[in-house]
Amino acid sequence: MQDQPATNTHTRFIESALNGKILTNKCKNCGKIMLETVYYCPSCSKTDFELLEFNGIGNVVTHTIQAVAPEGFEDVDSYAWVVFQVDDAPIRASGFLPGVRLPSELPIGSKVKVTGYDKKHGLSLQKVPEH
Amino acid sequence: MTNSVCVLGAGSTKYGKLNEDIIEIALNAAKGAIDSAGITPKQIQSGYISNVFGVADKQVHMAPVLMSNLGIPEVPGLTIESACGSGSVMFREAYANVKAGFYDCILALGVEKVTHTGTAQSTTLFSYCSDFFYEGGNGASFPGLFASIARAYMTKYKATEEDLAHVAVKNHENGILNPKAHIRKRITVDDVLNSPVVASPLKVFDCCPFSDGASAVILCSEEFAKKSGRPYVKVIGSGRGASPAAVQGREDIATIPSTVAAAKQAYDMAGVKPKDIDFAEVHDCFTIAEIIDVEDLGFFKKGTGAQGAREGETRRDGRIPINPSGGLKSKGHPIGATGIGQVVEVFEQFTGGAGDRRVKDAQIALTHNFGATGASAAVHIFQKV
Repeated sequence: MQDQPATNTHTRFIESALNGKILTNKCKNCGKIMLETVYYCPSCSKTDFELLEFNGIGNVVTHTIQAVAPEGFEDVDSYAWVVFQVDDAPIRASGFLPGVRLPSELPIGSKVKVTGYDKKHGLSLQKVPEH
Repeated sequence: MTNSVCVLGAGSTKYGKLNEDIIEIALNAAKGAIDSAGITPKQIQSGYISNVFGVADKQVHMAPVLMSNLGIPEVPGLTIESACGSGSVMFREAYANVKAGFYDCILALGVEKVTHTGTAQSTTLFSYCSDFFYEGGNGASFPGLFASIARAYMTKYKATEEDLAHVAVKNHENGILNPKAHIRKRITVDDVLNSPVVASPLKVFDCCPFSDGASAVILCSEEFAKKSGRPYVKVIGSGRGASPAAVQGREDIATIPSTVAAAKQAYDMAGVKPKDIDFAEVHDCFTIAEIIDVEDLGFFKKGTGAQGAREGETRRDGRIPINPSGGLKSKGHPIGATGIGQVVEVFEQFTGGAGDRRVKDAQIALTHNFGATGASAAVHIFQKV
């Protein structure tokens, strides 16, 4: 018997993102942590999960800046699509970081944080200034 | 008892911007394959079709339409979609059905028509092949996704944009010799490096074009092939693999797990090793893809794939010729057809139809094709008869 119905997972993920968090599932059987949109544990196939939120902060693993954007992104001047390693979590997430024009503005390893979830542009990110 | 499976005939349209509608394009390739095999349509027992964006040319459920127009409306068919890997995934299913003895003769046909939608719409359509919630929905295009893979690879292995450019130069050299190639144009490393950025670090000449086109083969049992008295090619290995759908889900972004898994299965089935392959048609949708492919297929150690094109090892006269057809990069990438187009190249190479781009003394060849960023892949190995 699972604690939560495996429905509307995208909605829950988005709600967390709106609060600057990344929502995950922690398997109660084997402890594996995975993104909350996964229905079965990839390690043990169980479905008994505990919801676990992480701060949506992490380091850039890779990124790109595109000259031709897909539909819905034409209104954005320039942005990076970013994959980042979530701090203190064994998962990566990806999102949209507006205002980046050149790769040199976003070296690999740069700190980014989730700023919300834009209906049109998905998981929104912001660069965290270095101190 | 299982059948040995053979490719008896092959046909292909030119790849590029085509004026015919999607059904006409498909039928032209089908006729080429049927004529090449020396069979009549009545000998076809099933039609396997691969296609992704039929809806963009107002035609889905394509198999009955194609079978009806081939004069065999009673022959059942189906359509398989697996993004850019649709052709090879479909080939695998057709292969499995001949192998299992369900059919003796199958028309395996891939087709695509997208150029009429324009670059912006095509870019959007292709983004639907990603894990859309995490990728396309966050603004990633396909060049963008491969650019992110390129950046990860270049960071890990200290590869350069010039390394990538050598792949494009080599594949364009091959494509010039292919009359059906989409882009027949010699380019230099400087041309690639000076071409406009599409998605950093990838530039225009790092990217394959959006193409229309169709390719078809006749797959049959060896008994059927022998009776025909025509030249044929034997399929000796077949493998499938999968990777996490989203790039973010991959521990190592500089490798494509589906390729590694599919290749291992195909090599094991064929009883051959990478060193036994005389040439390969691999999935070079972007230059970085070919560099990763040749490593994942076992032709180069990880991190050294770039040396293949740079030092001439992957040229037609090199140690392991890669993409003698010109590859997706030059021949073109009509995504539903690409995997079958690779088999057409092998058939032509082994039966005397490759003209000036023939790889000398080739006996064993490999095809590799994947869907999206390698979320799904298929590898096949062929032997000259």
